[in-house]
Amino acid sequence: MKEVFVNMGEISAFKQEGILTTVGLGSCIGVTLYDAVEKVGVMGHIFLPKSRPKDEDALPGKYADTGIPAMIEEALKLGAKKSRLKAKMAGGANLFPNLNTNSTSIGQQNIEAVAENLSKHGIAVVGKDVAGGHGRKMRFFVDTGVVTVTAIGKEAVEI
Amino acid sequence: MSSDIKLDFLKELANIGTGHATTALSQMLGGRLFQLVVPDAQMLPFSEAAEYIGGQEQIVAGIFIVVSGDVGGYMAFLIPYDSAMVLVRLLTGDDSRELNELARSALQELGNIMITSYLNALSKMTGFLLAPSVPGVAVDMAGAVWESILAGAQVANEVTVIRTEFFADGESIEGNIIFLPDDDDFQKIARVLGLEEM
Repeated sequence: MKEVFVNMGEISAFKQEGILTTVGLGSCIGVTLYDAVEKVGVMGHIFLPKSRPKDEDALPGKYADTGIPAMIEEALKLGAKKSRLKAKMAGGANLFPNLNTNSTSIGQQNIEAVAENLSKHGIAVVGKDVAGGHGRKMRFFVDTGVVTVTAIGKEAVEI
Repeated sequence: MSSDIKLDFLKELANIGTGHATTALSQMLGGRLFQLVVPDAQMLPFSEAAEYIGGQEQIVAGIFIVVSGDVGGYMAFLIPYDSAMVLVRLLTGDDSRELNELARSALQELGNIMITSYLNALSKMTGFLLAPSVPGVAVDMAGAVWESILAGAQVANEVTVIRTEFFADGESIEGNIIFLPDDDDFQKIARVLGLEEM
């Protein structure tokens, strides 16, 4: 089965089958959208919570506020129905906790921004493995909708 | 200043900074000699930044410091796991090869000393105050450590990366010291050193 790696800021999609993978999620969030009827799956790799004027030419998938709408559009293009889309998310860790003592970590800001933008579009989060202090690998099997998350030295866990 | 000249200038800074950092490391390790690989300075588009470090699933120890003062930026010291364990053994005498609290604080102190030496060298050349934060230490997938560093630096469409690799003679120790300066602050450094405006 074809496997595509989704780097920071990128969005990729499959219909029917294929594996969408993101390796080394730290403070970033891996987000998946799935329409189980049409078997349409989209994965994004969100870098920061909010788009900024000084980065106006950025890939939409780089920021949560532009990335979630872009992912939905991608899903609809492949025949998904918006009302059937379900989301899963992983990441948002804080690998350097002693550097963020006075403010909310970027990981936490990312978790909140992704959740908020999904909820704005009426999309439920049906699985997640977020926060904490460790990196993650996320794999999305589009034929079944299964999403697994792996931390170093651990077995993959389905979310 | 053309971008080639800018990058050459940054490589020179990196060479001097890393030279001081490895000298400090050498003193901590009883005089072991280190070889520096010619520094790499690049302005990377964001889309290529993720893969710059390579081996995203490989486990590394990463020490991350925020630089403030007259010139701001971010410094990272990335060491493959095996090299980190050799360093821990040499520094603490602990041969258990597990990453316990002692190992973590040894790495933190090591990163602190190396990065401070690097910054001191730049400080002396420019007269600027360069103040390091307390170091953060993470041992995790290279990709996760690196992207957390880039996110901490709030990288926009392009990132200037200055990297120096080094190797030890006789021990399998290797590492990378990476400097991500705030772009606007280059001009300040260049002006002080009598280089043309970029």
